[in-house]
Amino acid sequence: MTTKDIVLVALFAAIIVALGFLPPITLAFIPVPITAQSMGVMLAGTIIGAKRGAASYVLVVLMVAIGLPVLAGGAGGLQKIMGPTGGYIIGWIFGAFVTGLIAERLVHDGQPEVRQYIGFFLASIAGGIIVVYAFGIAWLCFSTGTPFMKALIGNLAFVPGDLIKAVIATLAARAVLAGYPMLPSRA
Amino acid sequence: MDIRFSDCSVKFKTHVALHPFSLVLTERRIGIIGLNGSGKTTFAKLIDGLVKPTSGTVTVNGLDTVKDAKAVLSVAGFIFQNPAQQLIMPQVMEDIVFGLKAHGLAPAEAETRAKAALSRFGIEALGPRRVHELSGGELQLAAIASVSATGPDILIFDEPVNQLDLKNRRRVVDAIHGLPENAIVISHDLPLIEDFDRVLVFHEGRIVFDGLPAAAIAHYREIAGC
Amino acid sequence: MLTSLYVEGDTFLHRQRPGAKLALILVFGLALYFTELLAVQAAAVAVTGAIYFALPMPFREAVQRLKPVLFTIAVLAIFNGFVLSWQEALVSTLRLLAVVFLAAAVTATTRIADFMETITWALRPAERLGIVRAADVGLALGLVLRFLPDIFGHYEALKQAHAARGIAFRPLRAIGPLIILTLKDADAIADAIDARGIRGR
Repeated sequence: MTTKDIVLVALFAAIIVALGFLPPITLAFIPVPITAQSMGVMLAGTIIGAKRGAASYVLVVLMVAIGLPVLAGGAGGLQKIMGPTGGYIIGWIFGAFVTGLIAERLVHDGQPEVRQYIGFFLASIAGGIIVVYAFGIAWLCFSTGTPFMKALIGNLAFVPGDLIKAVIATLAARAVLAGYPMLPSRA
Repeated sequence: MDIRFSDCSVKFKTHVALHPFSLVLTERRIGIIGLNGSGKTTFAKLIDGLVKPTSGTVTVNGLDTVKDAKAVLSVAGFIFQNPAQQLIMPQVMEDIVFGLKAHGLAPAEAETRAKAALSRFGIEALGPRRVHELSGGELQLAAIASVSATGPDILIFDEPVNQLDLKNRRRVVDAIHGLPENAIVISHDLPLIEDFDRVLVFHEGRIVFDGLPAAAIAHYREIAGC
Repeated sequence: MLTSLYVEGDTFLHRQRPGAKLALILVFGLALYFTELLAVQAAAVAVTGAIYFALPMPFREAVQRLKPVLFTIAVLAIFNGFVLSWQEALVSTLRLLAVVFLAAAVTATTRIADFMETITWALRPAERLGIVRAADVGLALGLVLRFLPDIFGHYEALKQAHAARGIAFRPLRAIGPLIILTLKDADAIADAIDARGIRGR
């Protein structure tokens, strides 16, 4: 990684932490709160690409682990990672990577705008929703003994909210690509 | 100080930032003036090796900025136009210590040197302060302390008093004038370079004047038409 | 801005090496997953709970820190009560509580600097293979803490720019501009790091 890559990774990690200060929405019937912070997965992948996006989340998870309250609502510490929703947190790293990988392949400079929007949206769904859910549900089932199908159905309640996040992330990613493109440089 | 440019030019993609020139700089205080986009910052970054010459060579005290890039960095320090971007640790003291440790100093020695750097500019009080809470003048002084702490022979300033109020301008100007190190200063503040040893005027990527401050300022005014 | 979750003190846990404490969580957590005995899980909760709540911080603060996690565990316990047998639900709930108490205790008794030392040590093999430089991790961490307040500054500036022009401010729509404002400094910051020779040796 070049010095600039490291700076981008750190600045994006700071943005992810800042997103956590927007108030989270907790739905009582489901154990996972909706946070703008988890939208960061989609933003990181689509804006700074797979490697740097994943590295940003490695940094965020590291901060959580060493006891900095960087998660939404000022939460942090090893208890968040070891707790039942820790899988989602670890999943963010892989989600950002997959989002970036797909975005890097689908979106290029000089494409029609519509194709860029579609590319970012598909990347956000694949990485920011499917990959994150896969890790989250796997750990949730393992740590609590909840049957897989039940956990999956429970998670479906979050899909509408996450689709909205994918739309917002797509708009933001496209705005950044137009104003200050970083995705093409990869890492 | 001995900086030599031989047949040096800089091109960014198709844009020529600096046309080929040769130059030797040995004076203790050198000013650089000119319009926005005339090549001043590129020239200054060339000395520090932050910009590599497209053709020709640059040597600083005998070190080539391409081949001996790392050694050049410890000889020449750079204070950026926006010092907030170069103070990279949350607290001032932390930042200076971090830089010194990266230069291979033991933690205890780094701490001592950092304190000395702060007191040298009379800003001991800034040590525990958070960087993002500093005012423009404080930022500039903290950056000077941070960069000079590692002991460079030459300090390069990119518009050091830009946007400072009169009082803070005075503090920074006094700090620069009092430096035992050599200084190369880009400035739009003309009184700052009035008593320098040598002033270069840049225009459209060329050095169009090289001499004493009064004549250089007159030349610059002519170019600017005011 | 960000205050660590570390709690000043000199308990037995405070005095242990961070690596040892992390290993303890791992071994202890894994061990609990190998047993379905209610008595063992209950004992584990009692011990870890006692350790956590005996730390030198006010009881309210100790509860406050775990509130989100405890809430999640409670919801899951009720959920599992319906889909599993009540014994199974109880065992998994107690197990989670024990692991979470222990993890929270380790977080509260380990300084960031000590964690960083352990991380640097753990990264040594990767460093030898040229995958990552431990010093870069410290640098990146410092950069996050340094520039986080600037992001809030950018956010306020965007808000005021909207107000000055009489445009309604929509936080979600500001995310793109906020990211551009933050990342466009990257070149200058990277240049400055290189100019100071920080990643040099």
